Amino acid sequence: MINIICEISKYLIILFMILYTVKCFSSLLSTTEKERKVKATKQIIYVFMIHFLCYLTMFLRLGEVRIIVFYGIQIFVAILYMVIFQSIYRNASALLTNNTAFMLLIGYIMLTRLDFSLAVKQFLFATVGLILTSFVPYIMQNWKNLRVFGKRYGLLGLIGLMTVFIPGLGFENYGSRNWIRIGGFSLQPMEFVKILFVFFVASMLCKASTFGELLANAIISAAFMGVLVLEKDLGAAVIFYITYVCLVYLATSRPIFLVGGIGIGVGAVYAAYLLFKDSLFAHVMVRVSAWRNPFADIDGGGYQLSQSLFAIGTGGYLGSGLTQGSADIIPVSESDFIFSAICEELGVIFGLALILVIVSIFISFVNVAMQCRDPFYKYVAFGFSVIFITQSLLNLGGVTKFIPSTGVTLPLISYGVSSVLSTLIIFSIIQGVYVISTNEAIKNEKDKERAKAILERAAYAGGGLPGQRQGTREEQ
Amino acid sequence: MQLTPEEDFLAKDRERAKNNKRKNVPIVVITYLMTAVFMAMIGYVIYFMQFEAERTIANSRNVRQDSFADKVERGDIITSDGEVIATSTTDENGVTKRSYPHGNMFAHVTGYDAHGKAGLELSGNFYMLRTHIQVFERVMKELADEKNRGDNIVTTVRYDLQARAYNALGDARGAVIAIEPSTGKILCMVSKPDFDPNEIDAVWDYMQTEEGAESSILLNRATQGYYAPGSTFKVVTLLEYMREHPNDYENYNYYCESDGTFNDVYIHCYGDTAHGEESLKDSLAYSCNASFANIGVGLNKSSYRKTAEELLFNKELPFDGTYVKSSFTIDENSADYEIPQTAIGQGDTKMTPLHGAMITSAIANGGVLMKPYMIERVENDDGAKIKEFKPKTYGALMESNEAKVLTEYMKSVADYGTAAWYFSDASYDVAAKTGTAEYDDEGHSNSWFIGFSNPDHPDLVVCVLTEDVERTGLTSSSVARQLFDAYYGY
Repeated sequence: MINIICEISKYLIILFMILYTVKCFSSLLSTTEKERKVKATKQIIYVFMIHFLCYLTMFLRLGEVRIIVFYGIQIFVAILYMVIFQSIYRNASALLTNNTAFMLLIGYIMLTRLDFSLAVKQFLFATVGLILTSFVPYIMQNWKNLRVFGKRYGLLGLIGLMTVFIPGLGFENYGSRNWIRIGGFSLQPMEFVKILFVFFVASMLCKASTFGELLANAIISAAFMGVLVLEKDLGAAVIFYITYVCLVYLATSRPIFLVGGIGIGVGAVYAAYLLFKDSLFAHVMVRVSAWRNPFADIDGGGYQLSQSLFAIGTGGYLGSGLTQGSADIIPVSESDFIFSAICEELGVIFGLALILVIVSIFISFVNVAMQCRDPFYKYVAFGFSVIFITQSLLNLGGVTKFIPSTGVTLPLISYGVSSVLSTLIIFSIIQGVYVISTNEAIKNEKDKERAKAILERAAYAGGGLPGQRQGTREEQ
Repeated sequence: MQLTPEEDFLAKDRERAKNNKRKNVPIVVITYLMTAVFMAMIGYVIYFMQFEAERTIANSRNVRQDSFADKVERGDIITSDGEVIATSTTDENGVTKRSYPHGNMFAHVTGYDAHGKAGLELSGNFYMLRTHIQVFERVMKELADEKNRGDNIVTTVRYDLQARAYNALGDARGAVIAIEPSTGKILCMVSKPDFDPNEIDAVWDYMQTEEGAESSILLNRATQGYYAPGSTFKVVTLLEYMREHPNDYENYNYYCESDGTFNDVYIHCYGDTAHGEESLKDSLAYSCNASFANIGVGLNKSSYRKTAEELLFNKELPFDGTYVKSSFTIDENSADYEIPQTAIGQGDTKMTPLHGAMITSAIANGGVLMKPYMIERVENDDGAKIKEFKPKTYGALMESNEAKVLTEYMKSVADYGTAAWYFSDASYDVAAKTGTAEYDDEGHSNSWFIGFSNPDHPDLVVCVLTEDVERTGLTSSSVARQLFDAYYGY
């Protein structure tokens, strides 16, 4: 009986996942507020169905009561969050809050499967993060001078990055020296510095009008990349670089900056390869050769990737079902390789749908950036969109052997205190930009309505005047 | 004329909207680029699932295979002529037992499914733990939490050839391997001493004792036995000589007085026979040690090594199973005194019977080696074909004209040379090379045979090694004769 329920749940989970993904994209296309609300409600139902079926399966398979208790608490917090957030910010994007909840819940499901105590830890930190970051849109609405700090953001960011070199505080993990330990918690300062970096670049580009100012911006940005390379955190260096190039391209509107940026990036990677392949980047070389053929060195550098591919391939399109695979033997499956664990047990179809959801989140982010008319917040929103999608690309591509693995987390799904908190901050800032620009758009719309009404009345009273006036304007 | 504030506002708003749109162009470009990269990634994952996943997860290092055993009853192993050589039965408690109807005879073919697995149980593990029975039946059993019947693998090995080789080897230690040269199919593979895979737990315990460890019964001598190639290596020396003297090798001439000193090394012919005046072909036919030592000292060492390595000495072999690499140690820095022994297959050179069969197979197939394989196809429990393994070309180990000359020379070995006594009354032609490799100073030696039948259109490659031929009296050539006879139905 248990088997029948679990097997049927497996297929239903995939079905609801597909429905959720479809709704993500159709929400992007909806034009009226009412349409959006209806779709958002359906989305919530799908998320809760997936979440329920997954926890039901795990409870039936493992028979542990704590799984039900944990499930109940999660549902309670999720509903509370969505209700409270929506009532505080009436113009908030429901799509964004849904996606935040979706990503976190998928993360909790897999972590519960892999390591219960990690799941609880992740849940606690994410809940604290949700509470704290729900103030972010409010702060942004009321504190207008976030854009003036310019170089000070940069300086603070650089100091933050360099904390890892302080003896006793910073330490090395997985071949990169990009961790610090504070009071029993391991953090990656880079996760928070990337927020400062986007603010820095955005506020500099807002006022940069001369070549000298652009150059100063470039030099400080290069310093970020330099420190990251010294930390041997190549994944982060790539994320920072791509974000920087995209923002400069946006600020200047000149394609040469995009083409040149890509060219310089490829050149720098190649030069670094020639210069440091045996020293600073020795561990990167291992990853590159593991990418080319993970099975050649299956006990060494290729171990993680071979295990990941075994997991994805063995699970197949439909997956083994939760707890029925061996997702727990994939190295770092709770963090960098969580996508392989998802594919093995929930199926590759589920995994592909998840990739599409991530793309839809990115598109919803850039929509916010495009809608926003204030250059500073436009840059900020776009910068975070690029960070989010680049990080997802490096993670997903790395574990599927699409590109060499760089050791970055999957936003909101991977376990990691600093990763989850910084992603929540990023999501809430995007939400803030959305709220601000929606409020402005509504206000603007009202002003327009009023102006039109006045003009219409004038035309009705004066008879034919608007036509003449239009003519005069064209002459001007 | 002055604009009203309202008109001004609307005009400016239109202007702002237009500006914003223009400003957004880079965002649109980047969004398209990123989306395209993600679509490529999704395409890549689907490609992986469609074309690479099957091969990837069949890797014997994928421990997930074992978890399949909870849901699937391991399939059978069947010979290409229809004999079941490994099968499973599940009792009412869901415990599956593996049994081997022919016991020892196929021990090194099937291997065992315990203590780390070996043989086909290892290399075909993945296929036997997958099930392709009808969807309805499968779903019903899955829902009922019952085991489904796994797929069967059909091996290339033939029951009749295996039985004949097994009996021909008798109590002697040694190995027999037969390959179809045009496809690479391994038609029989025997290694003795052997064991009963039905009793693998007891065998495993026995292996922990000193006596058991010494018996090396779990070692598959056909692929892991590591022997001096003896005179069979003269084929390699001959090939190198032909390469160094492409135009005049046929003019080679040597007068054998049964022994001689080459580079200060004393070499004598087998049985101290004086072969007298002989050509290159006769030197091979009579397996003249003095003549080949004479050839050896004139060879270029680095090119000698190159030829040996082109024949896969010191290299990984194209074989999906456990094997040992062969070794050839001469290079340009080797001392001269090492050459004469090496040229006649003594010295530090080592070869496995599998490798001997592969070199012979390349000679028989016009220089081109077909990758040896043992799984012909995978069938579901109803006998429907699930997957077929097609012959794969590994590549040319030598030129086709070189293979042609070697075939002609090896034919003389069976026509009037060292193997003639065994094949003079055979109703088919054979090209061969025999070898006797001493392995201690008390006159103990191993006997080698490499060769193939019907040299015009080679049918069967056979490589035989019998250990300690002085004690058993069983020469490898006589075993090979039996196998060829069985192949042609005698």
